[in-house]
Order: sequence, then structure tokens, then C-alpha cells
Amino acid sequence: MQLNFAGREVTIKLVYYGPALSGKTTNLRALHELSSAESHGRLMTLETRDDRTLFFDMLPLVFRAGGVPRRPGERSYTPLDPTTGMSLRIKVFTVPGQVLHGATRRLVLQGADGIAFVADSQVSETENNAASFLDLRSNLKELNVSLREMPMVIQFNKRDLAGIRSDDEIKQLAAQGREPVFRAVAVTGEGVLETFFGLLRLTWSKLEAEHQLSRIIGIEPHEFVAVAARKMGVQREVGSMLATCLGGSLDFKLGEGGERS
Amino acid sequence: MTDKRPDPANPATEVDVKLEDLVDREGLAELCQSFFTLFGIPVRVLSQDGTLLADASREHEVCNYINTLASGRAACGATVGAVKISEPDESGTLVHPCFSGQQYRIVSIDYEARRIGRFILGPYLPAELTEVPDSLLEVDPKIDHEKARSLLIKVPRAKSDTVQRVARHLKAALDLILFSGHKTLLTSQMHLLSVRESFRELTEKQAKLQEAYDRLKELDRLKSNFLATVSHELRTPLTSIIGYSEMLGEGISGPLNPEQQEFVGTIREKSEQLLSLIQSLLDMGKLESGTMSVRRAHVRIEDVLGEVLKTLTPTARKKGVLLKLEGQGNLPELRADAERLRQVFTNIGDNAIKFTPQGGSVTLRTRLLSKRDGQEVGLALMAPVRAQIEIAVLDTGIGIPPGERDKVFDPFYQVDSSSTREYGGTGLGLAIVKRLVEAHSGTIRVEENRPQGAVFVVALPVAAAEELS
Repeated sequence: MQLNFAGREVTIKLVYYGPALSGKTTNLRALHELSSAESHGRLMTLETRDDRTLFFDMLPLVFRAGGVPRRPGERSYTPLDPTTGMSLRIKVFTVPGQVLHGATRRLVLQGADGIAFVADSQVSETENNAASFLDLRSNLKELNVSLREMPMVIQFNKRDLAGIRSDDEIKQLAAQGREPVFRAVAVTGEGVLETFFGLLRLTWSKLEAEHQLSRIIGIEPHEFVAVAARKMGVQREVGSMLATCLGGSLDFKLGEGGERS
Repeated sequence: MTDKRPDPANPATEVDVKLEDLVDREGLAELCQSFFTLFGIPVRVLSQDGTLLADASREHEVCNYINTLASGRAACGATVGAVKISEPDESGTLVHPCFSGQQYRIVSIDYEARRIGRFILGPYLPAELTEVPDSLLEVDPKIDHEKARSLLIKVPRAKSDTVQRVARHLKAALDLILFSGHKTLLTSQMHLLSVRESFRELTEKQAKLQEAYDRLKELDRLKSNFLATVSHELRTPLTSIIGYSEMLGEGISGPLNPEQQEFVGTIREKSEQLLSLIQSLLDMGKLESGTMSVRRAHVRIEDVLGEVLKTLTPTARKKGVLLKLEGQGNLPELRADAERLRQVFTNIGDNAIKFTPQGGSVTLRTRLLSKRDGQEVGLALMAPVRAQIEIAVLDTGIGIPPGERDKVFDPFYQVDSSSTREYGGTGLGLAIVKRLVEAHSGTIRVEENRPQGAVFVVALPVAAAEELS
């Protein structure tokens, strides 16, 4: 997170990690599609070859403080911040999944506040999911970050394919770890917002615990996601979206639970 | 913050985007010029700190006229100064009037919801203006009302919504340029950083490998030391065994019956074999540690090979292999250790006989190599060319597969290392041979003998003239 008091900005960085072809870029595209044009910038895709990410994709979501009068004629800086007029920028990145781009993944991970791990639901991809997770852990270690202190949600993507793990299996898997688990079909947008808001909620609760953001921005974690959703033009109710989460907790507690390896 | 401070050079961590970093100034000037040509409204682009990045304008005649008047010049300067420092509010647009009735439209340039600069359209004459304003007519006591009026009318008129549309178009064009520029900037930064990160990773791995290599080298040295020490310690008792069995065999402690004689003979023979094996190990150790002494003297290779032939003839005869020596006479002398050279060729010859079936032949062939073919590169820069004597040992045996030819010189290496192998040996012989040849500044290689067999080619440098004298 970066706090720029002079520029009245808070910037949060979220990274979509996962094995090659698990649907990270597809998640970002869907997020771009599902959010209002005012809330997002262009989806930037850096360097691709054969439609594969080489460096990263980046989607900036900006919630400007103020500019949204409550009633005609009334100027106010609500709802993001009633007092200071801070604005919030969320930068969503993907990493290149292919094994050989390890150095790039590490660069993209630098400064991440939260991670969405996009796993492929197909049973045949189990090994790739695990290898990518180990890669994530070792890359974080290189950056002196422990996974324990990193908000992370897991998305089991491609629920529409054959040869996938059953919902029951995923429920059992989810019960083992501390991370919230979401199911998704990113190509149709299903589960994409759920994953995103789950991660945002978890990340925000951690940043709140560390930096008392509610004092700076003037917004509580449980309200925060709802405000973000509204600003993004999402009509659906946030509570019901977050309720699709399996296992884990959306409130970050440092040092609780164990890392899965 | 969850980790180390973000690297300012890393585009994947947040960095402030600057307008001047993203646009090419000449290109921007061309864009502004084309807008000016198309709509007749002057265009200027300023960075966030107010630096003028592009300017496409031409002074209107009315402005020129105003500037000829002292108070007019002052009023014009004040207006232009105010326009330059004016910043639009959150709406992104600000209309700034001029006392002459003209207008400026100042529009913010935002990128990812951050203000990074602004552009100024104008001055232009609002289409809605019907009267020449008093502020123009009263700006200077010397002003010629008629002239001012006629010049003001020449200024291009624009409707408010037209200017707004022009502003929107320019903003959209700039937005695309900024996005493309940013993308290119990030890509090039990522290229550099990825290479740097990969390099760092490789350097670390390289250091680890070097460490492991150094450790292995040290272990290898310890192994050689151990071998040398053990061999030395083994030799001492063995010398006694040989000595005493010799004395026994000679009947010094009383006569032996034929069977006892035979047993003692076997003990001696096997002990000698063991001794030569230990000797090989010792030689190997010395050669590896560089402590093998080579006593150089003038040597004629024919003499050495003659002796080798004598030594090997009984073995060859026993196996039914034809052993012969071929080659030019009168070869120049070498400066070498005759004893070591004998060891080299006895070993190679012995090997050749071992791997050649009955009825085959082993040939020792010598020749003088004095000329290079002149095709090699950079020879002029190398040490003076010396003549070499080439000694080839050709056999008609089983041969050595191409992939194995370099490996046969590795210590303990056997082409057939299976436990059921047909041919015995320690695998040290050729390793010693190679090191001995190298100790004589020579080279050794294996070639194929056609139609069958192997050729070991040893090349030894002829003694230089000053060494001979």
C-alpha cells in the first residue's frame, strides 16, 4: 500500500497469481467488463506472445473522492471520505504464468498487498497448481515476505470444464487451509467479482489492522467493500457475493492458521 | 507496507506518471499544429508544473495591435500570465476570459485519474459575442476604436460547444497517446528489469556452483593425497613379501620341492603384479599433484621403441599377434625421459595387444611432422612452430566407439565397466600415459583404424636447437 497524503491518495496493489493458462488475464478482462467505465482505466497488457502474458496485465481501478454529490447542489467528498477527500486507487496485476518468467513474477509481486491465486479446477492440473503455489512462496521469500502475512484468496477457476474436482472436494480442500476459496468460470465472468471483493475485503482488513485506515480514509472494512462495489457500478449485493466463499475467513488475522505447503 | 520499499525503477510498483515522460515533444507539437490548422484555434500543452511542452499558435492581428499600446501590452501580459497558471477544478475545464472579449479554454490532462498537465485552447472569439466589449475599448487611451473593432472581427469565432468538442477530441487523442506511451515505457522498463533480475539470479547460482566446485576440487586433492599415502604404505610390506619369497625361491633357507617352488613362484608373480598396480596408483597421484619428476635427456625415439618392442614381443607371440615397427629412420632427437617414454609406449602397446584377437597385428609407426597446413587461424601469434614426431600405435582389435575416445584417458575409466567384462585392468594405464605425454609437452589422441581397430597417436615436440647444443 502506498499512502500519499500530498496527493490525497491511497494505492493498493493486488496480484493475480497462478499457473500458466489458469485464467488470470481472463479474470482481469472480466473485471474490466463488469465494472463501470468511470471506475476503471484501460486494461493494459504488456507484451504478449501467442496470446500469453509475458510481463503483466494491469487494470487500474480508481475511486475518486468527491465529485458525486449526494443531492443536487450538494458538494461533498462522501462516501469514500467525509473529511479529507482521499481517493483510492486499486491496481490489479497478473503475473506471467509460464515457468520461465520467474524473474518477472518476482518483480510484479514486489509491493503486493494481496494475492488472488487462480487455480485450474481440472484434476490433471493439480500438480501445476501446487508447483505455482510453491513458486509463489519462494518468490515471496526472496522479497522477505512470509505467506502468513500476505492476504490471499484462492479461486478454483474453469468450473465449467469436464474432469474437474467436485464442489464437495473443493469444500473439503477449503476447510483445510485458512484462505477463503471461491469458484469461478472467468470466461463468463462467474465468480470473478466474488473473488475480487473477497480479496479486497481480506486485504483491507489487514491494512486496517496495520495502518488504521479507517481513521485515514474514514471507512470501516465492512462498509469499504460495499462502497467499492457501488463505485465500480456493481449492482449486486456484496454480502451475498462474499457469502459464496468456501472455508477460510475474510477477516485477516496475522499468524493464525497454518501455511499450506 | 507489507515488504521492502517499492523499487522506484520497477514499473510493477506504483510510480508517478509524468506527461513529459510519456509524450514525444515533436510529435505532440505536430498534433497541436494539426488541431490548430483544422479548427483555427491556438493549442498549447503544459506539463503539471507549467512547462510549455507544445505550442501551435499565431498571434491574432488584434493582439498584435493591442501589444503596440503600452497599457494594452500590460493588460495582455497579465491575462496570458493568469491563463498559464490557472488550473481547472474537478470538472476538468476552465474558461478564462480576455479583456478583448476573446476567451481561453483550459482543460486538464488526466491519466489514471491523476492530473498530469493541461492544455489551453485559445484565444478564440465566442460566437455569442455581439458587441466589442468596453474592456477592450478602454484598455488604452490611445486605442483606435474602429481599428480595434475591425481587427477583432477577424479573430476566428467559435461556438462554445464547438470548442468543447475540439477539447474533447484533443483530450481523447492525448489519452490514447499517453496510454501507448505509458505502455511502451513500462514494457521497456520491464525488459531491462527482467534481464537484471535474471542476471542477479544467475550470478547467485554461479557463486553457489563455484563454491561447490571449489569444494569438490579440495575433496579431489584430499583423495589424491590419500591414494598416494596409502600406496606408499602398501608398498613397504609388499617389498618384504617379494624379497622373502625371492629368498625362499632361491633356496637360501633350504631346498624346496618342485611344488613348493611353484607356490613360491606364484606368490612372487602375484606380488609383482600388485606392486606394479600400486606403482600405477603412486604415479597417478604424483602426476595429478604435479610432483612427478621427469628427467629430460637426449633421446632417440627409435631406441625407445626398439626396447618397447623387445619387452612386448613375448606377450604378442603368446597371443598370436603380429607386432612390428615401421617408419622413417633418422628422426631428430627428443628431450625427454626415456624411462617414462618407454612406460608410455609399453602401456599403449600392451593395451593394443590385449584388445587384438589372435591373428591380428599391432604396428608402431613413426613419422616426422614439420609443416602445418597453413589453414589454422592466428598461428603467427603463437609460439614458434616446432617439429613434432608422431608415433602411432595401430591395432586391428575391437576398436573404441567415438563417444568413448576422450574418456579412455580418465582415471579408472573402462570402456566396458560391467562386472563380466572380458578384459582386465585398473583403468589407470591410459590416464597415466596421457599425463606423462603432457608432461613432455606432447599430445595424445585416439582415432579409428580402418577397417578395424584403434590408433593411439602420440605427438612429441622435437628438441629445440638450443636444447640440443
